[in-house]
Amino acid sequence: MLGLPLRGVRVVDFTWQGAGPFTTKALADHGAEVVRIESSRRLDGLRSMGPYRDGIKGLERSGYFANRNSNKRDFALNLKHPAARDLALRLIAQSDIVANNFGPGTMEALRLAYDDVRAVRPDVIYLAMSVNGSYGPERDEVGYGLTVSSRTALHYLCGLPDRLPVGTGTNYPDHVAAPCHATFAVLAALRHRRRTGQGQYIDLSQAETMIALLGPAILDCSANGRVPTRQGNRDAAAAPSGVYLCAGADRWLALSVATDAQWRALADELDAPEWTTDPRFATLVARHQHHDALDAAIAARTRDREPYALMDALLRRGVPAGVMQTAEDLVERDPQLRFRGHFARLDHPEMGPSLYDAPPFRLQGVAEPIMRTPAPLVGQHTREICRERLGLADAEIDRLIADEVLL
Amino acid sequence: MSATAPATRPPAAPGSGALDGLRILEVAGLFGAYCGKLFAELGADVILVEPPGGAPQRRTGPFLDEAPGPDGSLTFAYLHSSKRGVTLDLDTADGQVLFRGLAASAAAVVESAPPGALDARGLGYDALGAPNPALVYTSITPFGREGPYADLPASDLTLMALGGLLCLGGYDDGEPTRAYGDQALRAADQFAAVGTLLAILQAEATGQGQRVDVSAQECVVLALENAIQYYDLEGTVRRRLGAGQRQAGIGVYPCADGHIYLLATTYGQKWDPLVHWLMDAGVKGAEQFLEPRWRTVEWLQQEEAKAIFLEAFLQLTLPRTKAELYAGGVERQLPLCPINTPADVLASPQLAARGYFAAAAHPALDRPLVMPGAPYQLSATPWRLRGPAPTLGQHNAEIYAELGLGPADLAHLRAAAVL
Repeated sequence: MLGLPLRGVRVVDFTWQGAGPFTTKALADHGAEVVRIESSRRLDGLRSMGPYRDGIKGLERSGYFANRNSNKRDFALNLKHPAARDLALRLIAQSDIVANNFGPGTMEALRLAYDDVRAVRPDVIYLAMSVNGSYGPERDEVGYGLTVSSRTALHYLCGLPDRLPVGTGTNYPDHVAAPCHATFAVLAALRHRRRTGQGQYIDLSQAETMIALLGPAILDCSANGRVPTRQGNRDAAAAPSGVYLCAGADRWLALSVATDAQWRALADELDAPEWTTDPRFATLVARHQHHDALDAAIAARTRDREPYALMDALLRRGVPAGVMQTAEDLVERDPQLRFRGHFARLDHPEMGPSLYDAPPFRLQGVAEPIMRTPAPLVGQHTREICRERLGLADAEIDRLIADEVLL
Repeated sequence: MSATAPATRPPAAPGSGALDGLRILEVAGLFGAYCGKLFAELGADVILVEPPGGAPQRRTGPFLDEAPGPDGSLTFAYLHSSKRGVTLDLDTADGQVLFRGLAASAAAVVESAPPGALDARGLGYDALGAPNPALVYTSITPFGREGPYADLPASDLTLMALGGLLCLGGYDDGEPTRAYGDQALRAADQFAAVGTLLAILQAEATGQGQRVDVSAQECVVLALENAIQYYDLEGTVRRRLGAGQRQAGIGVYPCADGHIYLLATTYGQKWDPLVHWLMDAGVKGAEQFLEPRWRTVEWLQQEEAKAIFLEAFLQLTLPRTKAELYAGGVERQLPLCPINTPADVLASPQLAARGYFAAAAHPALDRPLVMPGAPYQLSATPWRLRGPAPTLGQHNAEIYAELGLGPADLAHLRAAAVL
């Protein structure tokens, strides 16, 4: 059996807030030693955003912060102090990867840019993942997760064609697009370095990673001269494709019927044999043409059906169906997520046992546990890092704290 | 590359890809397409193994000139760029022999058949890993290879529903709506790429491969922001908020040529620059927004506050275009951006400066297809579009030649519908 794949890989982590920490979480979860640089003079903004344990605000109580910071250590280096840079570089000299998601120029102002860092660690892998990338006329745009959705056309494309665009309801690019691409790039760079000894600079634009996931829509525009419209829950490959209210409060069932066999199964399950002889619904093409009428007909039949029972019945008949699940459903009742052990409960010094996402894939040869430690407290590992990694005696550490280099 | 690229990027040696020397066998299916593309465009040799009738993405729109055909799908052209392609019927004994032959030299197999389907054909991890102990075998399925839901059918929409993201999207006074562009399928592919590359790194270090088991449902769960934590820590169930304003100063607002998004929160002191902009623009009554109550989130979330703010802010936005409003926001360091359409994205000066869009030849076109290019810029081993998506069976001859097949063998196999 194998250990964690990234054991021995060291990351100095200047990322904070959104997309950056999800990237370094993927590295930490798989065994990299990730040291977050975070001082009380410049706290991670997510610590001040809810939810909080029991609804009580506190820097060590935010679940928004915690989930994306599993398995990491926290080093309270005060980057505003002139003596901090030297400590950062000493840490970097022993590390493999340096990551940040600041706006361009920030690391340059700290004299911790790629060229500065290469001077102490020539083969460093340096990840810079700003909103728009490190150069270009709009590189200095002030942005947050939802602005990436807006600028990349994701927000425009989500929702109903005859209503305001509505986006995904989340900072979607922060959670999947940017961190997955950044992690993949870092791992690729790690492979290159193992084969050649050469590190490199990775300039990643969060917006560019999201646009990459909308390729077909971009092509429809560039090749066909069309501006794609919002589709709601419709799908060219399936009809019906949509969500239908069932019994209960705000209980929707999603359905995707791609074949005539699935269509007959749906009609049978909903006690509507007349649909199979209705010319409006006889073929996929016809069902697309009469989709509004189809939706109304289905909704009339689902309205008094218990959603999970209907879902189970349809799935057993080979019809893709899925209840719109809430966070409560996912945590309390979803049997598949329970089987997969998706939610790890880690015991945090202030928050107590609380839920974290495990990685959504399993490396089945790895015997070591993945979800090991909860999000760190501010500066939680400062002393041990000073001792173990920087070889500092306690007296020196005390002096650095008194001088506010460590804060 | 753009001439304004910074000088810290040393030129890359020709042919240097970070993933050089890796052969990835991608079995065409519902999942895997974007995973293979990520590998191919950082240098891996990705072979798309299609059934003789073609990969499902060939039947997925949009289509060039809205004309379906085996090479007409723009989705196929995008997701399968930079790969070579072979055809193979994995239900035939001859097809299975050939697949085993290809897998013998592969670093990874990426497949999304129903759980157990490839095992039943002697093409599972146990069969392929025995002669190739470093093989990484990645299975991408809706729910995972095992468990109560493992054998159940799914689609992007039903995965969005069961994974919890559908609950957060859509209209609070209407239906929930899914993310555009099959994002559950794409999320599974992205995480599959990360997991596969982790396993490949480990295999190259230890000589030992392994299975990578990707659940698309779990990938969707990773996108839920803080919804799980809201339930776990506060007992609150987050639901869709709908369109329009979330609070005064946050939301989507109409303008002269579309919509803009504004995120003027009290966090980060964005409120004062916004108020001064309104005042500078001569918006009547703008001074009221300097009053203390406008700095409290509780007031900003009131319907009355939203209505007052909306009336004032529209005086600014309705006469101005997305571009003008964006420029004003930049000047004042406000998080304001246009709700871009795909056409706006294609015309973006920022993306042009980054050299972002790539051009791929297409068999039916006399001009290249313009598509998103590098999602990251690596200084030593840059992303590279290696070529267009393959036509059906385009590389059968050259790839099966590695297994000792000549033209007569290929003709025989074609006649038997193995290829």
